[in-house]
Amino acid sequence: MPNHEPRGCSRGASYSWYLYSANRLKYPMVRGRLVRAWREARRTMDPVAAWASIAGDAETARAYKSLRGRGGFVRSSWDEVTEIIAAANIHTIKTYGPDRVVGFSPIPAMSMVSYASGARYLSLIGGTLLSFYDWYCDLPPSSPQTWGEQTDVPESADWYNSGYIIAWGSNVPQTRTPDAHFFVEARYNGTTVVAITPDYSEVAKLSDLWLHPKQGTDAALAMALGHVILREFFLDREVPYFQDYCRRYTDMPMLVRLVRQGERWVPDRYLRAGDFPSALGEAAHAEWKTVALDELSDSVVSPQGSIGYRWPQQEGDGGKWNLEEKEGASGRGVRLALSVIDRRDDVLPVAFPYFGNRPHERFRGNDQGKEVLVRNVPVRRVELAEGEAYVATVFDLLCANYGLDRGLGGECARSFADDLPYTPAWQEPITGVAAEKAISLARGFAANAEKTRGRSMVIIGAGMNHWYHQDMNYRSIINFLMMCGTVGVSGGGWAHYVGQEKLRPQTGWTALAFALDWVRPPRQMNGTSFFYAHSDQWRYEKLGIDELLSPLADPRRYSGSLIDFNVRAERMGWLPSAPQLATNPLRLGAAARQAGKGVKDYVVEGLKSGRLKMACEDPDDPANFPRNLFIWRSNLFGSSGKGHEYFLRHFLGTRHGLQGKDLGEMGAQKPEEIVWRDPAPEGKLDLVVTLDFRMSTSCLYSDIVLPTATWYEKNDLNTSDMHPFIHPLSAAVDPVWEARSDWAIYKSIAQRFSELAVGQLGREEDVVLTPIQHDTAAELAQPFDVRDWKKGECDLVPGRTAPQISVVERDYPNTYRRYTALGPLLETLGNGGKGIAWDTREEVEGLARLNYTVAEDGASKGRPRIETDIDAAEVILYLAPETNGNVAVKAWAALSRATGRDHRHLAESREDERIRFRDVQAQPRKIISSPTWSGIESEKVSYTAGYTNVHELIPWRTLSGRQQFYQDHRWLRDFGEGFASYRPPIDTRTVAPLLGKRGNGEKEIVLNFITPHQKWGIHSTYTDNLLMLTLSRGGPIVWISEADAKQAGIEDNDWIELYNLNGAITARAVVSQRVHVGMCLMYHAQEKIVNVPGSEVTGLRGGIHNSVTRTVLKPTHMVGGYAQLSYGFNYYGTVGSNRDEFVIVRKMAQVDWLDRSERSAAE
Amino acid sequence: MNGAEAMENADMIVLRALGALLTYPSQELREALPEIAAAIGASDLIAPGDRGAVLGLVDLLASADPLWAEERYVELFDRGRATSLHLFEHVHGEARDRGAAMVELKAVYEGAGFRLAANELPDYLPVVLEYLSCRGIAEARDMLGDCAHILRAVGEALLARGSPYSAVFSALLGIIGAEGPDDSASSRRAADAQDLDRDWFEQPAFAPAPRVAAMDFGIDAAMANGCPRKEIAP
Repeated sequence: MPNHEPRGCSRGASYSWYLYSANRLKYPMVRGRLVRAWREARRTMDPVAAWASIAGDAETARAYKSLRGRGGFVRSSWDEVTEIIAAANIHTIKTYGPDRVVGFSPIPAMSMVSYASGARYLSLIGGTLLSFYDWYCDLPPSSPQTWGEQTDVPESADWYNSGYIIAWGSNVPQTRTPDAHFFVEARYNGTTVVAITPDYSEVAKLSDLWLHPKQGTDAALAMALGHVILREFFLDREVPYFQDYCRRYTDMPMLVRLVRQGERWVPDRYLRAGDFPSALGEAAHAEWKTVALDELSDSVVSPQGSIGYRWPQQEGDGGKWNLEEKEGASGRGVRLALSVIDRRDDVLPVAFPYFGNRPHERFRGNDQGKEVLVRNVPVRRVELAEGEAYVATVFDLLCANYGLDRGLGGECARSFADDLPYTPAWQEPITGVAAEKAISLARGFAANAEKTRGRSMVIIGAGMNHWYHQDMNYRSIINFLMMCGTVGVSGGGWAHYVGQEKLRPQTGWTALAFALDWVRPPRQMNGTSFFYAHSDQWRYEKLGIDELLSPLADPRRYSGSLIDFNVRAERMGWLPSAPQLATNPLRLGAAARQAGKGVKDYVVEGLKSGRLKMACEDPDDPANFPRNLFIWRSNLFGSSGKGHEYFLRHFLGTRHGLQGKDLGEMGAQKPEEIVWRDPAPEGKLDLVVTLDFRMSTSCLYSDIVLPTATWYEKNDLNTSDMHPFIHPLSAAVDPVWEARSDWAIYKSIAQRFSELAVGQLGREEDVVLTPIQHDTAAELAQPFDVRDWKKGECDLVPGRTAPQISVVERDYPNTYRRYTALGPLLETLGNGGKGIAWDTREEVEGLARLNYTVAEDGASKGRPRIETDIDAAEVILYLAPETNGNVAVKAWAALSRATGRDHRHLAESREDERIRFRDVQAQPRKIISSPTWSGIESEKVSYTAGYTNVHELIPWRTLSGRQQFYQDHRWLRDFGEGFASYRPPIDTRTVAPLLGKRGNGEKEIVLNFITPHQKWGIHSTYTDNLLMLTLSRGGPIVWISEADAKQAGIEDNDWIELYNLNGAITARAVVSQRVHVGMCLMYHAQEKIVNVPGSEVTGLRGGIHNSVTRTVLKPTHMVGGYAQLSYGFNYYGTVGSNRDEFVIVRKMAQVDWLDRSERSAAE
Repeated sequence: MNGAEAMENADMIVLRALGALLTYPSQELREALPEIAAAIGASDLIAPGDRGAVLGLVDLLASADPLWAEERYVELFDRGRATSLHLFEHVHGEARDRGAAMVELKAVYEGAGFRLAANELPDYLPVVLEYLSCRGIAEARDMLGDCAHILRAVGEALLARGSPYSAVFSALLGIIGAEGPDDSASSRRAADAQDLDRDWFEQPAFAPAPRVAAMDFGIDAAMANGCPRKEIAP
């Protein structure tokens, strides 16, 4: 294998010269108008009363909120800012509830101690932590759907092991620069490398073949590849390796019920053991055990490994959650049938939804004259408890869905040239890719996988995931990866590199970050739904449910707007809520006692009777505003604020460039489940605190800005999905000026908070709602239909039909003591993650020796100390199996109890290893194999996902225990995503109302708006760096094609404006052959603070790339309480897609720099 | 050292006063303003015109609403490059040479027996001025003379913003006998920016074969060959 070095990157290289930059934040700063009011109030009031007087006075609050983003900062002292923050938090907790204090920080893996600092503080006080991976749209929901895993991927070195790589929407040399050498080295190794990107990108230049489907239509091409592979490698000829792999490791043999719908039949849910009168001999969880036909006995069996085997109902039930080819009840050997075509009872016409006919003004479809495809499918008749039923295997249904001819008659493709879904000829008009190119690509990819037993790989990137129907892009690709037996194989599989999501020592870190050592459960919220609700983007929703539903679904079951679906999901325990109840959760304990009831019963009864409401039903009620927001390690309002202008208006209450009207103003149909309030709230947040080392766009919009240490000024840990090493960040120099590390900042806030809490808040009972969690026994919650207790469809059972309700004790005056010491719950409750738990008392003892214990009297006396960032790093390293061999062996032993197979050998050779902070400082260390991850660390194989599933027979954490081609949840079926297919981009309806209405004399054209990752920055970092600006064009740029430029009379370097109902952007045009006609490309994310002139549309300074976007939720991402479709923080949930957006583009007539100072203009 | 120089050395405190004026207008600075005004008023190093302007700044700081003055200061000096008070920002920017330059400057201070106590970088102008106020006029002229172009550029950037802080830079340049900030500088710089665009103009990859040496093949020749002219923004 080639060495990991060199790992050069121009962005990283420019960092060390950035440390003393003029852009550096040097002092704690606070908005002038706010601090004036504060100092005035403080002359007569204590801090908490002072804050109450400011936040409670509409005039004062508006005065500083309306100036957000418009300068007006003054320097302050650490003492003063921590006091303001602590007072605001205490006031908010007392008045509204702790869940109204919210924090956002992304990508913990890149500096996990820094993330943990704010997360620990918030978790101790009961604040809400927002997820990022889904909000950034880096989370591919297809991964949890298919594998029950957030994301697990091969390390970059594994590219070298591949024989055939497709880089699909992933611009490796530009966005994975340090790892790109493996990509090049693989080519010298004889690997075929194919690039699929709509533009002639950096990766296209590196590859043997470049295909360029029209942006957003990739799934059509991928479906055609699957069609060819099924035809030639499964039907015309059977490849033994593929057959064996799919039989053992995928749901292909699983049986699916068919339900009659008039003349045709539709695929329903998977058949379960519990459907049989005998329950196939299964006593426990029979409704959660999928079944298949055994070729040896020609009978239906419940094979081991489905999720029903994962969670034993009683002692002694375990040991069958594995992928051995055995029947669960008898332990008899089985061989599952992929198809019943040779032993069928009948052939039935089965209907599949078709979306390729849906008209879109700017995407060509393939009409076919129908919206339902009926295909003949071989079926078996079975006797169920409910009577006789027809069933089919997933494989037979899959072949039908792909339109393959099985010799059963009916409509299907007899040749690749037939224009029928999903042939290579069918995709040609949609994607523009020639059919023969698709055929040869499919053959090349599969033939290599056949010869190498699965060493074919797809590197997939943001370009694919940021579309509304990203699931179709991904699942159509994952399908052929599974067909070819590539997942879990060195050099093969699915390599999704979007967001450095992989926090390798995860279970050591979660204990620290979420304060699980003191209080459980923490409050965690999915970011996308939170921002959609609280920046009021839902008030402008124009996408109708009818546009999303399958033609086979009953539309009467699905009424309302997208926000209604989110509210129902929260109610049913699928998604989390923030705030949770429309009541201060600290007051419920006392109220329950007064009513003579237990708290949980009191809450359940209150919700049922309507006396208690969930906050999601009324997000615009001031009682439910998120009042305080912490942002750290993030440019939330800059790079990451999809629907930027909505944030400005509703979240922040400042000037905005929004051009559209909300549903109320338009007189349109309003949501059903939610209170509509007029006028719409503006400035929901009372206090925005941002920690950063540079004056980012987010800082400009904040009230308090705290200067934080950079990577060379603090101690921290860093891991990545791209390599298996754990890296330190080390303080080479002390933080410059008054900067402090994140750990030190939150510690000082916790200290001040604890001091001020005395007399305000004591030991308090807090009622915490949590959704039904993946990887817990509770994920076996709702096995069949979807039922809403609020509509009387079922009873409200916490943790089963509704959120779980827990009562926890906060000890507010001891927040600081708890922050700085390791709490006792690790000894009493143990530690773990992903459904695997172990005793960790010896590690706590070890940490006490390593970090010493607290000597002072008080709540933390005798506990291991966590004073410094290095102490915190040691906690992570000591508790995690990846960095403590003893824990690794314990974790594998714990998993072995569930699988009945001994996995300890994977870590035994490193049992005595303890990786300490000083060790990784001396040299980055390779982590230890752990059951948290599905790959292993070894000197023989590179890390790759799914490796232990395939080689250790550990099931995937899905309903069937296998990788799933089929998604049988009611909502996925009814929204048309039971199987993968092609769905055109959605119509966001943001362009037509403005087209031709805001003339400036220049020609207007309409283009699709694409925001890939750039070369001159990492998101917004470095985009204000002079070196990087000099390498590019010195400010915001938008790439357009030569043909579009010519049509609009735009020349290279012209100032242009992009706008739609969401807002406006000003930038220079880069006219390039590289770009497809019909799209423009603005790199994510160029700051609003460098070289941005005024907009002719809004009259304000031009926005950032997110100014023309708005979040649109997808109901299938809200599903929960259902095996792998159960919530997990940063694991599943709605995602912030933004690539379906269109903008009006035109040359600017006037370039106004707005460089008259605001005050001189006013005076 | 001649007699005049000795007198001037006695007057070096004015550098410290000017440096102090460039620090954050905190309560501490506000309290020191009378003392600063006295030092400036008494100094013969400052030309009378500059003295009036600097005292005008002192008056403004003394009479303005403190938070107003602080907001102005943050806008001017805590953000952006053009008015940065860190001298090497203007020389090295974000280039790596900056580190070595700061180490050298720190060594100069230490060589003279001074240790940098403030939580500031050695190239922070008030630090430089405080150091020089403890040294002789010759060293001050020498060191400030080396960075006169920076002082002038910052002064001009402040003038362009209509800021009274430009007076401090005029005074400093006056003390070392250098030319002061120029009012018309901002328009000149805009023209330079145009030249910058022109310098970076890339030749089309497939222009017709040049008839003159490539080195001389400038933008006008490219246009004469029928290539589209790239718009160069003002």
